[in-house]
Amino acid sequence: MSFKLSEEFKTKAAHICARYPRRDAALIPLLLELQAEAGFVAEEAMDALAQYLELPYSRVKAVVTFYTMFNRAPAGKYHLQVCRNISCHMAGAPGLLARLRGKLGIAEGETTKDGLFTLSTVECLGACGSAPVIQVNEDYFENLDEMKLDSLLEDLRHGKHPLKR
Amino acid sequence: MPKLTIDGNTVEVAKGATLLEAAQQLGVYIPRYCYHPKLTVSGSCRMCMVEVEKSPKLVTACSTEAADGMIVRTTTDKVKAARKDVLEFLLINHPLDCPICDQAGECSLQDYYMAYSLAKSRFPQGDKARRAKRRAVGPHLVLDNERCILCTRCVRFCAEVTKTSELDVMERADHSYIDLKEGKALDNDYSLNIADLCPVGAFTSRDFRFKTRAWFLKKTSTICLGCATGCLIEAHHHENAVHRIVPRPNAETNTWLCDHGRMTYKAVRAGDRLAKGVIKNGVIDLEPALREVASRIDEAHSAAAVLGSPWLSVEDNAALSRLAGDALKTENFCFDFTAEQGIRDGILINKDPAPNTAGAMLLKAARGGLTLEEFSRRIGAGQIKVVVTEARAAAFIKDVVKASGARLIVFATNKAQIPAGAYATLPYASYFETPGTFINHQGLRRRAEPAVEAQEGVKPLWEMVNKLAVYSGTSLRLHCAEDALKGINF
Amino acid sequence: MANILLRDNVAGIEAYFAAGGYRPLKKALALKPAGIIEEVKKSGLRGRGGAGFPAGLKWSFIPKDAEGPRYLVCNADEGEPGTFKDRELIIKNPHALIEGMAIAGFAIGAAHGYIYIRGEFAAETALLEKAIASARAKGFIGRNILGSGFDFELFVHRGAGAYICGEETALLESLEGFKGQPRLKPPFPAVKGLFGSPTVINNVETLAAVPYIIEHGGDKYAAIGPARSSGTKLFCVSGAVNKPGVYELPLGTPLRDLIENNCGGMKAGKKLKAVIPGGSSTPVLTAAEALGVNLDYESLAAAGSMLGSGAVIVIDDGQCMVKLLQVLARFYHHESCGQCTPCREGCGWIEKLLNRLEDGRGTAGDIDTLCSVADAMTGRTICALADAMAMPVTSFVTKFRSEFEAHAAGRCCPPEAQGKY
Repeated sequence: MSFKLSEEFKTKAAHICARYPRRDAALIPLLLELQAEAGFVAEEAMDALAQYLELPYSRVKAVVTFYTMFNRAPAGKYHLQVCRNISCHMAGAPGLLARLRGKLGIAEGETTKDGLFTLSTVECLGACGSAPVIQVNEDYFENLDEMKLDSLLEDLRHGKHPLKR
Repeated sequence: MPKLTIDGNTVEVAKGATLLEAAQQLGVYIPRYCYHPKLTVSGSCRMCMVEVEKSPKLVTACSTEAADGMIVRTTTDKVKAARKDVLEFLLINHPLDCPICDQAGECSLQDYYMAYSLAKSRFPQGDKARRAKRRAVGPHLVLDNERCILCTRCVRFCAEVTKTSELDVMERADHSYIDLKEGKALDNDYSLNIADLCPVGAFTSRDFRFKTRAWFLKKTSTICLGCATGCLIEAHHHENAVHRIVPRPNAETNTWLCDHGRMTYKAVRAGDRLAKGVIKNGVIDLEPALREVASRIDEAHSAAAVLGSPWLSVEDNAALSRLAGDALKTENFCFDFTAEQGIRDGILINKDPAPNTAGAMLLKAARGGLTLEEFSRRIGAGQIKVVVTEARAAAFIKDVVKASGARLIVFATNKAQIPAGAYATLPYASYFETPGTFINHQGLRRRAEPAVEAQEGVKPLWEMVNKLAVYSGTSLRLHCAEDALKGINF
Repeated sequence: MANILLRDNVAGIEAYFAAGGYRPLKKALALKPAGIIEEVKKSGLRGRGGAGFPAGLKWSFIPKDAEGPRYLVCNADEGEPGTFKDRELIIKNPHALIEGMAIAGFAIGAAHGYIYIRGEFAAETALLEKAIASARAKGFIGRNILGSGFDFELFVHRGAGAYICGEETALLESLEGFKGQPRLKPPFPAVKGLFGSPTVINNVETLAAVPYIIEHGGDKYAAIGPARSSGTKLFCVSGAVNKPGVYELPLGTPLRDLIENNCGGMKAGKKLKAVIPGGSSTPVLTAAEALGVNLDYESLAAAGSMLGSGAVIVIDDGQCMVKLLQVLARFYHHESCGQCTPCREGCGWIEKLLNRLEDGRGTAGDIDTLCSVADAMTGRTICALADAMAMPVTSFVTKFRSEFEAHAAGRCCPPEAQGKY
């Protein structure tokens, strides 16, 4: 097993675990931390975390596959998550999605060859008043239309949005 | 003690009992998938829904505590509709591959469909959600995710009984599936219980796979001789061949059965099964083998000895004691076995691998004889030159036999049991073929009952002993196993 | 009337304090816990997450003699499609939530509180953590709050993407580090909740209303709105109105007023066709029904729907109801936790039926099947997600059956929606 939890992670993890009477309650926050470090949660990372929290691997895997925010494979630098639920749908999400497919040349679940963009559809992001909405990594971009989407893509391509992963 | 009414009949149950348990007490069967009496309640399959007066919704019988004055109905239209609906839901994404499914004939989907549904499917075949088809998971199991109804009995079994937690449900909604770590084997000591627990054909036994149809199987209640726990089992057989062993749940010893115990039947038809005698390494017919053994015994006179065996039934040990006392007329016999007793793994597997240490000790109590220590000493001192025993019991005197060069004459069912250096081996019928009494580590006396017939010429051990005595000039007059017990008080 | 919850310029602790914030906490700490619960009961405050259960009653269910820890959990897993009020509240007035939690914690005897926030709200998580830190620095959170001897620790716990975690027992499972699968009830969380201890779970909006109730008294809060629907409510409006957004209004406000006055009416060229009044799970209302209903628990129930989370989804005449139901079905299918048979299998089945109708492969029989599958899911599962799928199905098909029939007859969408997708 090549994956090792970093000392920095362990320090942070100990701090997070202390918030709960049972350490395993920190499983999801710690998975999010691991994902923040690597961009995705690798099998080896699940294994390492299972050992760290003294949990069966199956539980960690079940949790990772249950929650939609965990990437199980490396995603692109910018993970474009297009909300497709009712309010965004009515506000033109299908058109935005089609435009992204066309401009990036990829389908949902795929990453561009240059590793810059991963395209996903997601369910309601809880920002329906400013639909349609796209979440890029952790940042929301709201009230989008085709022009705004185009300029967002350009900005991202040129590194103009200093986004967290 | 709450008193409630189920389908018009009143029943009083223990506090904390569920509606399902209360119904069971009245003999009212409530269909269920996820419920299992020995696992925690999941309440998720929704098959056991019943109507409770004043409750607007149906409730799950498995999770609802019986309360005083409750009026429960299990046969109303509402209940019937709910069962029918659950079955329809369970079947929409089911592959319906019963013709090639080992579970067919003992499948809860089939049985409940016949009992509670018989509806025509409204779901287009092409819309079925697909999941992974069969694959081996571990040494004993095959998993077919497409047949799975996600009752999670298997998950709970591994979490709660074996505490190995190999399994969990991955993903969610109708694309969720049971899985374990990639590359990991589902190889806990009790894995085959999962094939029993699984109400459908998702987990099936690799060993039983495609052997025969469940409805051809005849069932014989008997006991497991895999260790001193002495679990109650059922041997399932067809056309004189045992095909599998399943536990007979009981309060005294076992709900489950270990994988080792389940495989004990394999020896019955194994390639190395003995039907003839073996002298040194050569196979010879039974009669000349007996004659040869008898002359070696006679030759040794008072230096011949008998060692009982904790692997043999009480009756067969008694027959050996008769051989020593009445035929060989020697004091050189021993039924003294002191193995540590008790459950080794907190579940079923005993510290003592032999099934009848307590039974052999009964012979000691009744007949006396040497301690194992003294028996060994006499071999070492050359006072014992020929030992008649059972193959696995020979291990108790292995070193001293080797050092002294004493002749070892063993009874064995299979070639693999024969200890190195044995002079002669005589075959005998296994306890799947002949009855016998065993006493487990709790002191419970239990009967092994024959499920199949032994091969032509293969006789129970007591009968072999009887023959051997005749060859050596004495009649023990054993006409049945119980004859050996005559004159033994217990 | 002035807003109670959505107030401007109170996001920072100094500003919040200057505007009278944390005075209610001080007042509460001088009261007896039972007195606080009584005040909240008197206010008539009902759960703002969707179920509308009276908050004070919920608090009173914590067993008085229970030993060991008790927990207070804030449900900030805002996920019901159409709902975006908690996010707005957290951004604009985080200290009302924090103060409300400290008061509620004191009332139920909890020394620990957790805010379970949906994982996608990363920025809001950071914002809340900062706000809690500033409250801790001022002694409103932590040990011996304001010298009262009451200790209350508060943590933010991020989810990771699962609508079902908005269901309170699924939320507890998730908070304990498991998959978010709802628990069998009983036992209810008030008896056996987080980590097996008595627990109260309240929505962000519910807890944020508590300081006001303590400061001004339950009676004053109860005086707002109709008798059994007291107080103000955050309404989230999305769809083809001129000014979508979150509006704080007294309960009982006519839906017509919300759309026409607050939201500036329908966008040019759009006509009102239907309204989902309380988030995607609540039964849809036709335009006529919507324009005649008031926004409170009882009026909406009488109209055959629910107040839910207060998410008003405005549907215009350019929308195809079959398509919208397909969008919702895809969502519920995606979010079913997979535990109970009827929900796990039924949500997928409904989506597939709608896919057929949308693609022109459907039949009139599929419409009946749709309804009977929805029926077979209703009231048969551990939690309400199956019902949440069934309610839109039943109401969409009942109220807009002609559109479904047109699809089944091969005419995909009504003319005004043609070519839109």
